[in-house]
Amino acid sequence: MFMTVVGALNQGFIQTLKLFTVTLLGAIPLGLVISFGSMSRFAPLRWLTRGVIWVIRGTPLMLQLIILYYIPGRLLGYSPWGTGESGRFLASAIAFIVNYACYFSEIYRGGIQGVPVGQQEAGLVLGMTRQEIFFKVTLLQMIKRVVPPMSNEIITLVKDTSLARIISFQEVIWAGQAFMKSSHGYSGLLWPLFFTGVYYLVFNGVVTLLLGRLERKLDYFR
Amino acid sequence: MALLEVRNIEKHFGNTKVLEDISFSLEEGKALAIIGSSGSGKTTLLRCLNFLETPDAGMITVGGETLFDSENTAAFGEEAIRQKRLHFGLVFQSFHLFPQYTALENVSLAGKLREKDKGRWPILEKQGMELLERMGLADRSGHYPHQLSGGQQQRVAIARALALHPDILCFDEPTSALDPELTGEVLKVIRSLAQQRTTMIIVTHEMAFARDVADEVIFMDGGLIVEQGNAREVIENPRQERTRQFLARY
Ligand SMILES: Nc1ncnc2c1ncn2[C@@H]1O[C@H](COP(=O)(O)OP(=O)(O)O)[C@@H](O)[C@H]1O
Ligand SMILES: [Mg+2]
Repeated sequence: MFMTVVGALNQGFIQTLKLFTVTLLGAIPLGLVISFGSMSRFAPLRWLTRGVIWVIRGTPLMLQLIILYYIPGRLLGYSPWGTGESGRFLASAIAFIVNYACYFSEIYRGGIQGVPVGQQEAGLVLGMTRQEIFFKVTLLQMIKRVVPPMSNEIITLVKDTSLARIISFQEVIWAGQAFMKSSHGYSGLLWPLFFTGVYYLVFNGVVTLLLGRLERKLDYFR
Repeated sequence: MALLEVRNIEKHFGNTKVLEDISFSLEEGKALAIIGSSGSGKTTLLRCLNFLETPDAGMITVGGETLFDSENTAAFGEEAIRQKRLHFGLVFQSFHLFPQYTALENVSLAGKLREKDKGRWPILEKQGMELLERMGLADRSGHYPHQLSGGQQQRVAIARALALHPDILCFDEPTSALDPELTGEVLKVIRSLAQQRTTMIIVTHEMAFARDVADEVIFMDGGLIVEQGNAREVIENPRQERTRQFLARY
């Protein structure tokens, strides 16, 4: 029985991992684009971007998931996400990427604005181009500032992936909960749901370790 | 003819006039000290020379080449400015070393970025090393800025500015961010640069240093040049009342 349950949970966990990875891959660059928007010298773009960030950060991700998954179908008469698990994954991925990109963008903005102007000016006076200054001087200092708050968000993301359960995305909690009714020939099992906690703990342990290593790598300068 | 000619420079921030009709010239191999109370426009003047600010009026000429002319700003795109500003070097009050690079990397970075032929990078590093030696920092070349004292950091910053061989090296209160016991080592380095006939403009509050090391001095107040002349004469026997009042505080 144990092996059957673990097999089912593993399958769910693969979906969790997929959502986690896709969210990071999408939100890390998208967040940079949004942060540039929120610092734009063009005021309308700046206010529009900050407005979007305010709404996304001010409402629950769970609500955003529900709205994104169900509302287009109501309006169009058919679901643009397609049917089944792939549709649920697509909708979840988009909601997660946009949501996390908004959080990341605020962290990036702090990181970019936290690098003293003097660094830029020192580069200019030495005849560097703006590109050279960004890539050779500012970028690494920005990354160093951004890694600790990003680590917090990434660890939250590990757990937040479970929110996709609300649109029946078949991640690990969904897989565990299925055993309460019936799944893989067993029914009325409570412990598989509790056991999913172990997956999150182990996964978070690994993520924390990797991010800690990155942080220490950047410890050589201040 | 003078190496540097500054003619009628004016600069406003919004409605405040920060520089008004600034004109002076500087001979090659001479050191010019700029003194004046805080807020008198000294930093803004250096920033204008280094193209970190654009003057609203006036002209800047180095070695006969017009670097800036407010009558003809069309010719001053970003790329042109990047080339022109290399006539000047600037040492900041708070160093602004690049924290992720060692002392030697700080000194040689900009030169390497300009030198596309990587085969020549060892030469640049050797020159960087020699500069650090001149600053008395041969044993600190592999240290990161946070591992250095303020005085050492400022000397690395001086080496970094010298590495690009500017015609004129500017200092903005190079010792003001330092603990008193560390100012000496930086002033000593600047003094030796003066002895080697480096053309320099030094904004400073160290009056004795300005008197002994600089050839010329300019006293600024409220964005205006109030008095200029031989450093020793002006500092020992100022002719203007405002200069006298200012110097009485030192
Ligand atoms: N970027 C700026 N915007 C507005 N005012 C400025 C700016 N930079 C300097 N000022 C003003 O210009 C005046 C001269 O400043 P500064 O050149 O730094 O003087 P100093 O270096 O002699 O102390 C001050 O009144 C200062 O407040
Ligand atoms: Mg100043």
